[in-house]
Formats: sequence, C-alpha cells, structure tokens
Amino acid sequence: MNEKIAVNRRLFLKGATVAGAAAGSGAALVPTETKALTAAGKAMPPSAEMMRAELEKPTPIAASSSEGGRPGSDFMVDVLRALDIEYVATNPASSCRGLHESINNYAMNQKPELLTVMHEEIGGAMAHGYAKVSGKPMGLLFHGTVGMQHATMSLYNAWCDRVPMFVMSGNHLDAAHRIPGVATTHAAQDPLAIVRDFTKWDDQPASLQAAAEAMTRAYKISMTPPYAPVAISLDAHLQEMSYGEGEKLRIPKLSKTAPPAGDSEAVRDLAKMLLEAQNPVIVVDRLTRTPRGMPLLVELAELVGAAVVDQYGRQNFPSRHPLNQTDRARPVVAAADFVLGLEVSDFWGIVNSFNDNPSQKQGTRIKEGTKLATITTRDLYIRANYQDFQRYQGVDLSIAADSEATLPLLIEAVRSALTDSHKTAIGKRREALAKAFDQSRNRLISEAATLGWDETPISTARLSAELWAAIKDHDWALVSRDARLSNWPHRLWNFDKSYQFIGDSGGAGQGYGMGAALGAALAHREHGRLVVNVQGDGDLMYGPGALWTAVHHKIPLLTIMHNNKGYHQEVMHVQRMGNWRNRGIERASIGTKIQNPDVDFATLAKSMGMASFGPVTDPNELGSVLKRAVAMVKAGEPVLVDVVMQPR
Amino acid sequence: MKSLSILSLVAGLSFCGSQAAVSADAERGRQIFEKVGCYQCHGFQGQGANTGPKLAPDPLPAEGIAAFIRNSGETLMPNYVEAVLPDADVADIHAYLLTIKKPPSVKDIPLLNQR
Repeated sequence: MNEKIAVNRRLFLKGATVAGAAAGSGAALVPTETKALTAAGKAMPPSAEMMRAELEKPTPIAASSSEGGRPGSDFMVDVLRALDIEYVATNPASSCRGLHESINNYAMNQKPELLTVMHEEIGGAMAHGYAKVSGKPMGLLFHGTVGMQHATMSLYNAWCDRVPMFVMSGNHLDAAHRIPGVATTHAAQDPLAIVRDFTKWDDQPASLQAAAEAMTRAYKISMTPPYAPVAISLDAHLQEMSYGEGEKLRIPKLSKTAPPAGDSEAVRDLAKMLLEAQNPVIVVDRLTRTPRGMPLLVELAELVGAAVVDQYGRQNFPSRHPLNQTDRARPVVAAADFVLGLEVSDFWGIVNSFNDNPSQKQGTRIKEGTKLATITTRDLYIRANYQDFQRYQGVDLSIAADSEATLPLLIEAVRSALTDSHKTAIGKRREALAKAFDQSRNRLISEAATLGWDETPISTARLSAELWAAIKDHDWALVSRDARLSNWPHRLWNFDKSYQFIGDSGGAGQGYGMGAALGAALAHREHGRLVVNVQGDGDLMYGPGALWTAVHHKIPLLTIMHNNKGYHQEVMHVQRMGNWRNRGIERASIGTKIQNPDVDFATLAKSMGMASFGPVTDPNELGSVLKRAVAMVKAGEPVLVDVVMQPR
Repeated sequence: MKSLSILSLVAGLSFCGSQAAVSADAERGRQIFEKVGCYQCHGFQGQGANTGPKLAPDPLPAEGIAAFIRNSGETLMPNYVEAVLPDADVADIHAYLLTIKKPPSVKDIPLLNQR
C-alpha cells in the first residue's frame, strides 16, 4: 500500500511541476493535491488499536456468546453469502450492531465487505450505481428509524430507475428488552412503512429461520423484472440472540425467476405491425438489463429498418450506429407511422407535447393514424401514491412483459414474417436513415460543438471532447448523466457497450451522483476500467462525504466537477415564474446560486484525502490536467478535477 | 430546426426593436445578458445548449430577436414583456450578440476530428 502511494506521489509531483510551470506563465490552474499523498510523513500515525484492527486477523472466538450458542447474526452472514452479496454499505448503528460485528469478526469483512458511508443516502446511491454495472444488488445495513429516514431518497431513485437494492435495517421491537432512551426513540412498530410506497416487498421476520426465508425471498423479488428495492427489518434481538447447536436452521435455495416474456400471439402481432410500417420508430429507455440487451436491439432495428431513439435510461443502442436517430427524435417521431416503446417510463411524453408556460398548451407530436405499441414491465407492477408511472397513454398493442426477454421472440417472429418485398423497403429505409445520421452528427460537430470552443467558462462540448481524447484508448465507462452536458458525450464518444453508460437517477432526487458513481466504479474496479463521473456541484453538496468513502475504500474514479455554481434547473424555473408574473427576472439567483462564497471543490476533496486539481478555468489547460488525472486514476486512486463550466 | 421556427414566427410579428437599436451598447448588453440570465439556457456566448438554441455568432436581425423575446409562441422560452426587459435592453443584448466572434473551423480543431 505504501509503495502504491509512493508511486502516485511521484506521478503527482511530476504533474505539479508541469502545472507550476503553467502557473508561472499566467495560467489559472491551481493544483491542489492531497495531504495524504504529498505529506504522508507528517500525518498522524495510526494508533496501535487501529493497526491491529486493520492488519491483524482477529482470533475467532468460538460461539462468542454468553449463552454458549452461535450468534444469530452469524447465521444472517451465512444467508448473505448464500445470496452472493459481496458488499454491504453501512453507516454504523446500534440497532445493527449484532450483524455489523458478525461481518467484522465472523465474515472477517470478506464477502460481504463493509463499505463505510457518511450518510445512508450515499450508501443507497452506491448500491444503485453498483447494481446497474454488476447486475446484482449490494447490501445496505441501516438504522431502523433514523437511518431509513435518511435513506429514503436513494430508495425512491432506485424504485423509479427499476434497480434492485437489498436493504437491511435494525429495530428494537420488543419493548421489554430494548435499551431505554435512544434505542427506544429509534424503535418502531412498522419501521419500513416509510419506504413501503417505493419498495417492492418488505418484511420483519420474528425468528432466524423466518429471517433466512425473508432475505432469500426479498432477493428473489428484487431481481425479478421489474427490478426494485426490497427491505427487511432485522430485529436487534434476533441479531444478538444465540441459537443452540441443536437448533436446525436452514438457508432456503435461491430460485431465480426467469423474466416474463411477451405473449406469443401478441408478439406475432407486433412483428406484423413493425413490418407493415413505412416509418417505424423504436423509442427505448431502460431496456438493457444485461449485456444481451444492446445486440438484441441492434438486431431488431436492422431487421426492420427502424429509427431508434435512445432516452438513455441505460446504454441501449450504440451511439454511432447509423439507425441511431436520438438527436433527431422530434422529427422522426413526427414522421413515424408506428412507434414502439421499450421499457419507456413516459410514453405519453414521447407522443404528446406540453408547453410549460401559462397556456399549458398540450398537443400531439404524431400524425393521425400512427400506430403505437409498448413492451414494458411497468404494466406488470404499479403503486398508487407516487406518480412515477407518468400520464396514461393509450396504445394499439400493449405487451406486459420484460422487453429484453421478449426481444428474441420478437426477432424470431419478424424473421418468420419477412418477405422479399419487405427487405427491399427496409434496405432503402436503412440507407436514408444512415444518411440522416451522418448529416445530423456532422452538422452538430461542425456547427454546434465549435461554439464557445476557446471561451471561459469552458463549454460542455469542449469538456466532452477533451475527456474523450483522455479516455478513448482505455476500457472506459461514463457513470453520470450526460444531459447536463447537452448530451455531448453521446454525440462525440463511441458508446458501443452497454456497461459504458448507466443512465440517471430515475427519480431525479439530488444527492445521487457521487454515490452512484462510486458504486458503479466499485463494480467496474475488478475489470480494471477507467471510470468517469461528471458531477453536478449542487448534487455533490448533498453528500460530500462520498469523497471520503472513495478514498477510504480505494475506488478508482475520475470525478469532473461540473462547476456551474448553481442549481441550474431551478434557476431557470424561478426565472420562468418571474416572467409569467411580470415581476422581473433579475432576482432568480436568490436561493438558486451556489456563490458567495464559491465552493472550492479541489480543497474539499483534498480535505478528505482525495487528489484534486482546479479550479480549471482555461480550456487550453484542460487537456493536460485530464491526462495527469487519468494517469493517477489508472494507478488506482480517486481524483477530482474542478472545472468551471457553462451551465449546460 | 429551432432557428427556422424562430424565423417563421418573426416574419409574422410586428417590429419592436429598431428604435432602441440605434444607440445599442454591446458591453451593456453583455452585462444584461448575464444579469437577467439569458446565459442560463443559451450559454455565456449564446452558443446554445439542450436548454435553448444558439443565438450567436450571426444572430437573428435585431427585429427578429426582439419580436421573439416578446412572443416566443409555443416554445419553451417564456415571453418577456417590456416591463421586465425593456426594448433598450433587448437592443443592447442584440448588440452584444453581434460582437461574438465566429468559432474556429471544425477542421482546425483536432479534438473534433478524433474517432
């Protein structure tokens, strides 16, 4: 470990020399490396206790209970291992102390390994990002009442984004045995009620056997499309109690559920509709659950010659495929005679317009007679309270199923019905769409990307182009939303693998970005990928403690601060209201800007041991900074680069 | 596409900016552009983003910009009335947009020619 730090320090010192020369020439770049890297000798040495905890294997204490039995929470660890839970993110809590201690001393902090988070919302966001890359849930271990209250936003994001999450919370249910005072304040009769509207299932088992069954059932349900969070309240007494040698506890077999595929007759009808269409369009949002999703969609789109509009809930379709018409979404949908939605969260919004001005004028975006169809798991599962199901849109054919599981059947049905006459028309259509793709992309790059190229604040196109140059020769992944960058990464970069992008938060709840990026980076770590997070400034400040977790757990991640000094979306909303009411627009910055003082993100990162650069204000210095930062990330460190940028 | 729709709209609207344009002040226009938040959707150099179309370089004629600001039709942009954004301010904003230089050509930017 010390050798690694020394190597990184050398890398930094080399970079700092270059940066120092730049500063001498009047450049604005201020390198701010971490104290841990630059002044390791001055850091306080760890205590003997810390050294023992970090480095020594504890002596196993047989049965470790005053009653002479085996701790209930050791059995819970066995269940977690049977479920292949590799990580458990936690913020320590008395109601979870039994399981926490078992992971430390029974599991030896290996499968599961504890991840220390400084806020439950960060832990939830980590699990969110991790699941979208690894394809399986991370465990979360939170205090029953106050911890779950902190965690709620992250669960809602995961719910909206159809992501599996395995939440365990503590509780002190038995009033006769709970510790008076705080433990009682934190106890609840129904502790998971607070998340029931946006979890798929929850339980509070009353015995260890029931806990094993509940945990196994919860995992199974969470991983059955539509994926969603599940939560189990593990009572502190169950964790802390011992059970005897004679007590036969059984871990149930995990029966993974095959995802639901579409009805065969409906799939044949859909194939016919696709082939009869003159201008079919496929709109896709959260199709890709596994690496199979993208090639299946490519196969279908090429087979029928359909334009594809990717809403980027996942990386569903290659960004440079000639049928990708995402940048022409409005005109292709307007010209369509058939629109197929695959795992789309807001189909109404695709085929209708809504003007956010006082008239609230609403209208259709499609031609009269355009046929509509959907395949979505949203038709299989819906809850009443929160409105993430969006407005109701009637369609001509609705298939309640998982799109990825249905695509092989649909492709087969299309192949069976395909005639030579279809093939001729499809060939011409593909040619026309390819031409439109080239024209659109070339125009965007030659006209739009060049605007503001050398200006300060740095343009989102410039940042995206500089980043692409820095990462394109590596195995890379972008783990943050790119709409804030006006989608320039998807216009400039070559996304051709589903793991290269994970979409957004789903629920648009702030505080998601850094945690989700960390979770995704953790899942990418074993593959050695170079992971990039372009981080909103307002979003980071919800949970800056995530920076500490990145360093503590040595998760390599390049974080670019999109420092636009405000809650940009909200600035525009307040400005809009001022306009509507004719009360002026000059005061829209009150309550929406993050200025006076400006946040020094490089120093913030530094304070938590993270290497950092910036603020970078000169676009001509960005390339060299990114090159140095990438080298440090490739060496295994998280690095933050603060870039003062255009709002979008 | 958005520019085309702006032009179409402008063609049917009355002129309301020429008088103020006579004494337009580009530096004041830049300050207003930032102060009232035009840059929030259109960028500091009017380069456009996914939140608003490009305004510069080569902005619409002063009359066109002024007309669109007053009546943006069914676009996302709010209508700005005279009391909120006076004609003189609109003219100065337009003067500022006129000063924004053309960017380098794409062929001279290697970063935009990489695969």
